[in-house]
Amino acid sequence: MSEIKLEKIDDYRWRIPRSFKPGMRVPGIIYADEKLLKDIYQDKAIEQVANVAFLPGIVNYSLAMPDIHWGYGFPIGGVAATDIAEGGVVSPGGVGFDINCGVRMLKTNLQYEEIKDKLKELIYALFSDVPTGVGSKGDIRVGRKEEKEILLKGAGWAVGQGYGVQEDLECTEESGAIEGADPEAVSERAYERGKAQSGTLGSGNHFLEVQVIDQLYNRDACDALGLDLDQITVMIHSGSRGFGYQICDDYTRSMIHCLQKYNINVPDRQLACAPVDSSEGRQYLAAMRCAANYAWANRQCLMHLTRQTFERIFATPWHKMGMQLIYDVAHNIAKVEKYVIDGKEKKLCVHRKGATRAFGPESPGLPEKYKKLGQPVIIPGDMGRNSYLLLGTQKAMDETFGSTCHGAGRVKSRTAALKSINANVLLKELESKGIIVKASGRGTIVEEAPQVYKDVNDVVDVVHNAGLSKRVCRMRPLGVIKG
Amino acid sequence: MAHFFLPSCVVKNYELLEHTADIGIRVKALTLAGLFRKAGLAVKSLSAEKQKTQYPQKHKIVIIQKADTLEELFVNWLNELLSKAAVEGLVFEDIRVKQVNEKFIEGLGIGSDIRNYKINTEIKAATYHQLKVQKNGIVWKAEVILDV
Repeated sequence: MSEIKLEKIDDYRWRIPRSFKPGMRVPGIIYADEKLLKDIYQDKAIEQVANVAFLPGIVNYSLAMPDIHWGYGFPIGGVAATDIAEGGVVSPGGVGFDINCGVRMLKTNLQYEEIKDKLKELIYALFSDVPTGVGSKGDIRVGRKEEKEILLKGAGWAVGQGYGVQEDLECTEESGAIEGADPEAVSERAYERGKAQSGTLGSGNHFLEVQVIDQLYNRDACDALGLDLDQITVMIHSGSRGFGYQICDDYTRSMIHCLQKYNINVPDRQLACAPVDSSEGRQYLAAMRCAANYAWANRQCLMHLTRQTFERIFATPWHKMGMQLIYDVAHNIAKVEKYVIDGKEKKLCVHRKGATRAFGPESPGLPEKYKKLGQPVIIPGDMGRNSYLLLGTQKAMDETFGSTCHGAGRVKSRTAALKSINANVLLKELESKGIIVKASGRGTIVEEAPQVYKDVNDVVDVVHNAGLSKRVCRMRPLGVIKG
Repeated sequence: MAHFFLPSCVVKNYELLEHTADIGIRVKALTLAGLFRKAGLAVKSLSAEKQKTQYPQKHKIVIIQKADTLEELFVNWLNELLSKAAVEGLVFEDIRVKQVNEKFIEGLGIGSDIRNYKINTEIKAATYHQLKVQKNGIVWKAEVILDV
């Protein structure tokens, strides 16, 4: 429970003054409305926003999105940008263990009425075809030389293997491979830990969900994206698996020593960091980018498996079912981006820890087809409510370093969930809503129950009304597979 | 209802701490070696549930870690156990600590094939957030938040 009294800026922004904790270099700003604020006060996330404000070189504010909740080091839902020329740091804890955890959304031209009788068969087939759960291994086996290719080429490597098409890369953040990855910065252990996990979904909050569009908010944008009511979509949420965990562990260990070396004072050792422009900072970013590319390759492979399953169940080639990728976004990553700060263009290291890039129209890095619209932003909710497609805005560029929320955000701990939720009752409730769930274990279903999350509709209301991203359409789940 | 499907013999060895997104644990022991062993076994118990043993062979893995401080050593130890178990495809059913001081630990993980287990919760790593390793009177106590 946080005791700080936040200062209201407007209906959707709340300030943590620098006076809250001596050592804060900038104030904090939390995007939320009064309703969500009540949840935010319940844990230690506000204090974590303040802790992030200690990072050397931090610019403007330590930011938090409305899905913010207590993490380790950074809050989940935190955004911080540091000025590289002014000794700005990069922190592995500002990215997290699951580097480039992210989500992609693909559309189909199938209508709900067409598939409803085959839905159960489809979900069971997806559960059988897509490796899920801890220790799961994919069918993709590569040697060390090819493993390095994955780290450099990301989703492009997968497309080169026939697991997708060129258009998929255009619709992926960084075209599915961020520059500056260096496989030499990756430890032997990380290679070993990531081996055989390509093309696996993982566990926890990772999922593959078949959805139907149930609400349109922006008709023009929907037309431009080829989306309409009752259309079937698919969402895939996964990350860099054990490969990313090991890289984060390796570099957090080494950066603990950087705190003394560079005379950095942070109130939480999980915020261990080093200047971006230092050998340690450069090495971490080079390794982190390898994990980011590994994750993009992974989600590309998962989408390929999904398309294959749809082909089998509906006996139609995937392209004839219009299974095109709308977009793929990272929500655990640190990226070097340029912003104008106090009238000067600056190169910043933007940490998004449980936050999504939300570039506005005409922003650099957007594919030609999205230049006028702005970047598609994919916001998964929980398995019982909704998910959203949004578009990035200029206001996000101006206020939040082109960032918005990443999901619903947890409000109840896993232990509390296990104490209060019965798996059988939950599955019946979901079934009564027409939602089929297949998971490796019942524990996962309970830990990820809708009641442990904030209502994603409330979260999206805030980012929409605050202007950080604009609603395009809403989906509801039909079937979900989980690890 | 069984929380995290813990065998009863292990439930007494640690307490769960509330955390919104992740899992916190508190372990206590009379010796430092006992503390490190219990913490390692607690992490295992949180994630793995024994099924029928189909692959009976045991694998002994030596774990050696160094650090500048006791707390760093504690996090490194847990992360090394997680990492080694993942790489070798094992669940450490037992853990023995051969020697430990504030900056060095040598231990042994007795691993069973992961296919003998059902993994309910993936523990990604131990973190430094709110980490405590200290001796109160005659009792060693540790608190750690695990990323799940």
